[in-house]
Amino acid sequence: MTSFPLTRRRLLGTGAAALGAASVFAPSRLWAQSAVSLQLSWLHSVQFGGSYIAQNRGFWSDNGLEVSLLPGGPNAPVEPPVVSGTALVGISAADYTAAAVEEGAPFKILGVAMQKNPFVVASLPENPVNEPADLVGKRIGMALANTPILEALCTLNDVDINDIEIVPTQYSAQPLLAGEVDCLLCWETDLPVAMAVEGVESITMLLADYGYAVHSQTYIATEDSLANRREELVALMRGEVMAWDAYRADTDAAAELTLEMYPDAGLDIEAQRMQAERQVPLMFSELTEANGFGWWTDETVAANIETLALLGRDVSPDLWDRSILEEVHGS
Amino acid sequence: MSMAASWTGTSLWRIQASRARALPGLVVLLIGWELAARLLTDAFVLAGPTEVLAYLVEDRALMARALGETLTNAAFGFVIGNVAAIALAAVALAWPRAERVVTGLALLVFCLPLVATGPILRVLYGPGAGPQVTLAALAVYYTTLIPLLVGLRAAPSSWFDLVRSYGRGRFATLVHVRAMASLPYFFAGLQIAAPAAFLGAMVGEFTGAERGMGVLTVQAIRALDVEMTWGLATVATAVSILAYIAIGALGRRVLLDAPPVILAAPAGASRGRLAAWVDAGLVTLIAVGAWWLALLAFGLNPFFAKGPGDVFAALVLDDDAAETRAALAAALGETALFLIPGYLAGLLAGAGLAVLLILVPMIASSAMPLAIALRSVPIVTTAPLVVLLLGRGAVGTIVLVAVMVFFPTFVASLHGLRQAPGQIMDVFDSYAAGPVTRLLRVRIPAMLPAFFAAARMAVPASVLAVTVVEWLATGNGIGSLMAISASLSDYDMLWSSVVLVSVLSALGYAAVGAVERRILGTYAPEQLA
Repeated sequence: MTSFPLTRRRLLGTGAAALGAASVFAPSRLWAQSAVSLQLSWLHSVQFGGSYIAQNRGFWSDNGLEVSLLPGGPNAPVEPPVVSGTALVGISAADYTAAAVEEGAPFKILGVAMQKNPFVVASLPENPVNEPADLVGKRIGMALANTPILEALCTLNDVDINDIEIVPTQYSAQPLLAGEVDCLLCWETDLPVAMAVEGVESITMLLADYGYAVHSQTYIATEDSLANRREELVALMRGEVMAWDAYRADTDAAAELTLEMYPDAGLDIEAQRMQAERQVPLMFSELTEANGFGWWTDETVAANIETLALLGRDVSPDLWDRSILEEVHGS
Repeated sequence: MSMAASWTGTSLWRIQASRARALPGLVVLLIGWELAARLLTDAFVLAGPTEVLAYLVEDRALMARALGETLTNAAFGFVIGNVAAIALAAVALAWPRAERVVTGLALLVFCLPLVATGPILRVLYGPGAGPQVTLAALAVYYTTLIPLLVGLRAAPSSWFDLVRSYGRGRFATLVHVRAMASLPYFFAGLQIAAPAAFLGAMVGEFTGAERGMGVLTVQAIRALDVEMTWGLATVATAVSILAYIAIGALGRRVLLDAPPVILAAPAGASRGRLAAWVDAGLVTLIAVGAWWLALLAFGLNPFFAKGPGDVFAALVLDDDAAETRAALAAALGETALFLIPGYLAGLLAGAGLAVLLILVPMIASSAMPLAIALRSVPIVTTAPLVVLLLGRGAVGTIVLVAVMVFFPTFVASLHGLRQAPGQIMDVFDSYAAGPVTRLLRVRIPAMLPAFFAAARMAVPASVLAVTVVEWLATGNGIGSLMAISASLSDYDMLWSSVVLVSVLSALGYAAVGAVERRILGTYAPEQLA
């Protein structure tokens, strides 16, 4: 694998800027703070509620780490800032990470926030999609870029994709409500929540319940960081683990904190509360109960590799590196 | 200055200035909007003015903060972009041999698709407003540069002779003749630039920002918050219209002289084909060199920053080069089906409406606000509405492209129509020629240089529009291919797309230029000198 030199000037620059900001806003500390960035995969919302708790309650600063949370967006791929060292860790998903690795990026997955992939097929109660077989004869609204996901679901459940009419839509629930489509391929935690806030109850079929095993909201870092910046990675992941446990204990508080920290993001408290609650079952399972937040086993990795193969990605198990998480959980 | 009086008294200036006469048009617009919103309540696509107003009052603090952020970035980008345009025009003028190379390079940079430049700018700048300001500047510099270059030549040769007869040099010509002649064109450029800068700053926020109108737009569309979506669109539109009116008012204070009669001798033998090929070669060479040097200078990581060699390998040398080429060709073909009809329709509508306004000044009061509003409503919010009304087929995309092309063409054509020299209009007056005759014989020929400048500018603008619509709304063509390539880290494909889109835009621009030279050779030969 090729090695990718970090641009040190940029790293130092970011660090200096973050330190400058930290010295203004944070109480002075006696020990040296190391400054790093966490690149989020989307605009600020309670989707990253744990990270906000970690920052707000000092889970990172108590461990000598100052973390800047960099927002993502529709035109903000996570991989370039992580590869170039602007961000120490990025929030990605196994399929995107696998694609980047195929293109030569030296990424490893350090932790898995969403044990179950959040993709669902959302439909309305009068014309429901309760299981994959119900998709036959339906019009599904989705981004064409997500076609491989639908193909994988169909293959896993013996449904002929040609029996489904794909309607290219942008990421909004509007086509479903306007009756242009019968169902949508979206996330459990966004469009169904938006509809619920507008008073429309929807039925969601979680792809993860029908064999679609792709780790989502995964923490990625470069091999170089894993080799040379372990302490910072451990401190960052330790903060995340503590914070997401706190998030689980009180999701309403996480939603309120999100609005408090990011008043300019245009978020609705009701929607944030609902989203915060809905992502809990995706993030916590018997597996995390037994081993702690972010965990995976050889079995779940094997299931991921199988699904990723259906998506056209050839992945080896060493894409996942559990060493940081093992240090955090002390196993 | 009797001509000055007659020119400044031209009905359009007065109509634009008179708010009283614009009111009925605005009222009709608002009533139509409210009715449409009531009809479409269940579709979740459109909020009426009453709902929008209620929303804006309720969330005024949030909206004010977002507007402050985006407007600041847009204003910085506007200033930087326009200063850059003036500097480039100065280079082209001081060194005429370089003009085609300067405009060629400027065109290539202007054609770089947002989808690709956004993430790279974000990595270059890190967190902050860098990409927003840069994208706003990139969105405006070219639409100012081209009218400026046209305007700098829009003076009668007798004026140049006059300066020379006083023994003064090129600098005096620049200050006393060219700069003055270029002002109307410059202000037309600035007017077009204002909404473009705002849109650029909004799209810049898509690369990862904490606050701003673009951030809120994405949030509102996802949250199915129609009131917020249209509240944002209304504010963006209002700001763009105000900027347009303010620049127009400034222009009226500065521009006191009537446009001159330009009776130029037919152009001599223009520079040959060889020179054109040399220029094209130089542009390519400099562009490739600058690209390569920039990657080196910024130390960008080769995982996502691909150089000329990488793209050549991806398109020609690699094992899967044929596959890459096929994917690109298919996407480009799909895009062309939307782009070309939309481009032509936009040109036709823009010039057509400008002509109509000259013939029937009455309609200006309702047409002007509508025209500015159409162009200023951010394409990200209009896309779902247009798609709902016209279906998800080709028509929706074509209309959106036409809207983007329409407004600059309309503004430029209107300015051009107004450039009809007073003396010639007086001659036609004395023969009691009707408005149609005057239009055909004086105004339209006077309009042609500005129209063609707009038609050339519209090439990259339409490419920008079609790729943004494909990226954000329809999910097909080259715009979508670029977005998918970026999300799947297929940066070879992304950069290859960028190169192809830029080169094809430049070729389209050259084709329009060729048509322009043939027609201006008859009607405005001074532009060819």
